[in-house]
Amino acid sequence: MFNLELFINGIMTGAFYAVIAIGLTLIFGILKLVNFAHGEYYMVGAYAYTLFAAATGLSPWLGLPVAVAAGAAIALVMERLLMRPLYQGYTNWRMMKDEYAIIVTFGVSLFLMNLATQVIGPEAYQGPELLQRSRIFVGPILLGGHRLVSFAVAAGVLLLVLLFIHYTPQGQQIQAVAQNRFGASLAGINTARVSQWVFAMSGGLAALAGGLLSPMYLAHPMVGMLPATKSFVIVVLGGMGSVAGSLVGGLIMGVLEAFGAVYISYQYQDVFGFILLILVLMLRPWGLFGERAREL
Amino acid sequence: MSLLRFDGVKKQFMGRTVLADISFAVEPGELVGLIGPNGAGKTTMLNIMTGYLPLDGGAVYFQDRRIDNLKPFQISRLGIRRTFQLSKNFPRLSVLDNCLVASEAAGVPRDVALQRAEEILADLTLLRLADRPAAELSGGQQKLLEFASCFMTDPQLVCLDEPFSAVHPDIKRIIFEYIQKRNAGGTTFLVIDHDVAIMRELCRRLVASSAGRIIADGPTQEVLQNPKVVDAYLVSEV
Amino acid sequence: MNTRRKFSGRFLDPASTAIFAVAAVLPLLVQQPYWQGVLVVALYYGIMAVAWNLLAGFAGQFTLSPAAFSLLGAYTSGVLNFHYGLSPAVGIPLGVLVAGLTGLLLGRISVRMRGPYVSLTSVAFLHIVSIVISNSYSITRGDLGLQVPDLFGLSRVGYFYVFLAALVLVQVLVYQLLRSRAGLFIQALRDDELAAASRGVDVTRWKTVVFGISSAMCGLAGGLYVHFIRLASPEIGTILQSGLVVTMAVVGGMATLAGPLIGAFFIQVASEALRAIGMQHMLVFALLVILSVRFFPGGLWGFVEDMLRKPRVPAEPTVAAARERVGP
Repeated sequence: MFNLELFINGIMTGAFYAVIAIGLTLIFGILKLVNFAHGEYYMVGAYAYTLFAAATGLSPWLGLPVAVAAGAAIALVMERLLMRPLYQGYTNWRMMKDEYAIIVTFGVSLFLMNLATQVIGPEAYQGPELLQRSRIFVGPILLGGHRLVSFAVAAGVLLLVLLFIHYTPQGQQIQAVAQNRFGASLAGINTARVSQWVFAMSGGLAALAGGLLSPMYLAHPMVGMLPATKSFVIVVLGGMGSVAGSLVGGLIMGVLEAFGAVYISYQYQDVFGFILLILVLMLRPWGLFGERAREL
Repeated sequence: MSLLRFDGVKKQFMGRTVLADISFAVEPGELVGLIGPNGAGKTTMLNIMTGYLPLDGGAVYFQDRRIDNLKPFQISRLGIRRTFQLSKNFPRLSVLDNCLVASEAAGVPRDVALQRAEEILADLTLLRLADRPAAELSGGQQKLLEFASCFMTDPQLVCLDEPFSAVHPDIKRIIFEYIQKRNAGGTTFLVIDHDVAIMRELCRRLVASSAGRIIADGPTQEVLQNPKVVDAYLVSEV
Repeated sequence: MNTRRKFSGRFLDPASTAIFAVAAVLPLLVQQPYWQGVLVVALYYGIMAVAWNLLAGFAGQFTLSPAAFSLLGAYTSGVLNFHYGLSPAVGIPLGVLVAGLTGLLLGRISVRMRGPYVSLTSVAFLHIVSIVISNSYSITRGDLGLQVPDLFGLSRVGYFYVFLAALVLVQVLVYQLLRSRAGLFIQALRDDELAAASRGVDVTRWKTVVFGISSAMCGLAGGLYVHFIRLASPEIGTILQSGLVVTMAVVGGMATLAGPLIGAFFIQVASEALRAIGMQHMLVFALLVILSVRFFPGGLWGFVEDMLRKPRVPAEPTVAAARERVGP
């Protein structure tokens, strides 16, 4: 029974992880680069949700779209100013594309973290709960009210994203660009527009998670670092560019952590994810020819 | 003893058979052309032979020594050099340094290497660009540079992947004549390309592949008139 | 850009030599202990910036873990001293060894990865090291840190020259390495691994070696630093510390020799100035990094180099003549 509770909790945490990770995998899918600033979209969402409620005193439910909008906005600005040059004729022999992407996104990450510290302050804020009931029985399992409701939101959003990717024209355009950017542009797809959507989604989703988790994990300048690193693990685990993979990977991560924290070590639970990341990166096939490349 | 020998080589990619049974040999001093329609697996053969891909069956031998399990740098040191379809150079290194990488890795003394570089670059009209970064070169010059670097180690076998594609006719001519010059000096060549006109002039022997198998192997004229080759390949190419 | 001109000096390139000459007399000009301390810290970061620039700028391996190796160097000496009374004279070299070997390990792990995967692995690695050190309370006293002694009673000026000597050593090593055939191989594998392998370069070996050298240098920096601030603390190895090192190298000029030196000095001084006006210095630096990478990928020194490039009119086209123009 205890194990079932652990498992359910793990799945619920995993759903949040999946929401965060999907944006990262989408960006990788269409641009083939890793966004090191991803955690900061989460942070922006956490702040937006928390401060909106504090400032206006309105229902926390209204804070959610605010968080999503804030995350999407930051992501869009970043895309427009910094990422656009990458796929519109980037030529500078002093630095190659991959390097540029790593440094620039890392720079944005540092910038946003410190901007928050400068403008808002280093203290942590706690976000309002969506549901004030602290204990609800779902069958034999005891769950927190907010946790349950926010899980429902996350699960619903995940479903919407999956439907969007697979059944709407925009979603299919995203898939096309992810498979073959050049070919997609030849087929008349506006690849710059697709990049914008993907960044907006990426920022919005991460921000949503930041808001939903803020009653528990709070809002402070570095709050996005750990979710970001875990997202990297999930995305690599599930396949970079695969939405379904991130979903499954997120759930697995959540469950593994839940059990690992109890049965192995509470202090070192974060380390599992990191070790897993390294193992996967070492063993995962990549390469010039689409299969496990030989070591050079 | 053949210089290079493919023996029943098989390769599959994600369930699809790219190479079904590749067997042929190249003797020292030959100038062999490898032709075939796109997707016939020619570059795959080259990649297997130079250590970039593992094979799924058969073996590749260089001077009767099995090489398909070696790493690319080890194969290079045995005396095999290759180029890539999209020419690969080191953009931030100078033209001269691009050439020196191979010779330094092979242990060629610096003064000998500099002498060789001067001759080769001069022959390939790149000498005046010797200390420019490779990034500043045009597409055709990049092709020439990659080609040039092959000879810095005085290799026994040079494999060229589409050396004549997407370049100016003048550059094609430079590469063509240099291959002939080197071949006359004893270097063996295996050339993959689609330009039938050039291959007909350049190669004395052709190996034709299609759908993962060798469908013809012999003197150039014979192969080009072989009905199987015409069917598979020349209809689309000529 | 002339790839060989910068290798014209016998021990060191002209720009670095000039910078070190100026640095050598700085303590005479800067008398206040506070500012001397600032300079020492600048030298600390300078060592790591040079080390990171070797790995990322010249070898193309974009790690975000230099601070982790500084941490390892710091704690090796710190732990051995705190628990066993081992002198820094032994502890620091051991720290270099530990950092270097761990770096070799990270390099070996990263060998098959390209670009962002190397960065991700290094971030994960940094977090693992950090968490393990913070949680091994019985050995490291966790967040409390370990008190360690100073370096044989040196004054601030003394520390300055010790750190400067270390920086000079590190820079000379980097210079000699890049000037040798190893330097060709390393830069070749940065530009194109597949091509490098096809030309006979043992990519695995050289990648691993550079990781080891770079990490060992960071370990040296950490070992010296811990005996300067007299405290081994997990703060030495955070991702933000790595970010600072990266900032210095990028803003100063990646893949140049003088870049990290200039970057470390510039950023450290700017940091003090910003602190004076109550501004988050990392905020400004992050912005600088973004702007630099977006508009001036060569950094400060790269910009200078580009300005100094004379338009070329080749005389007699011989390699010997080219060699003469560009140096050995």
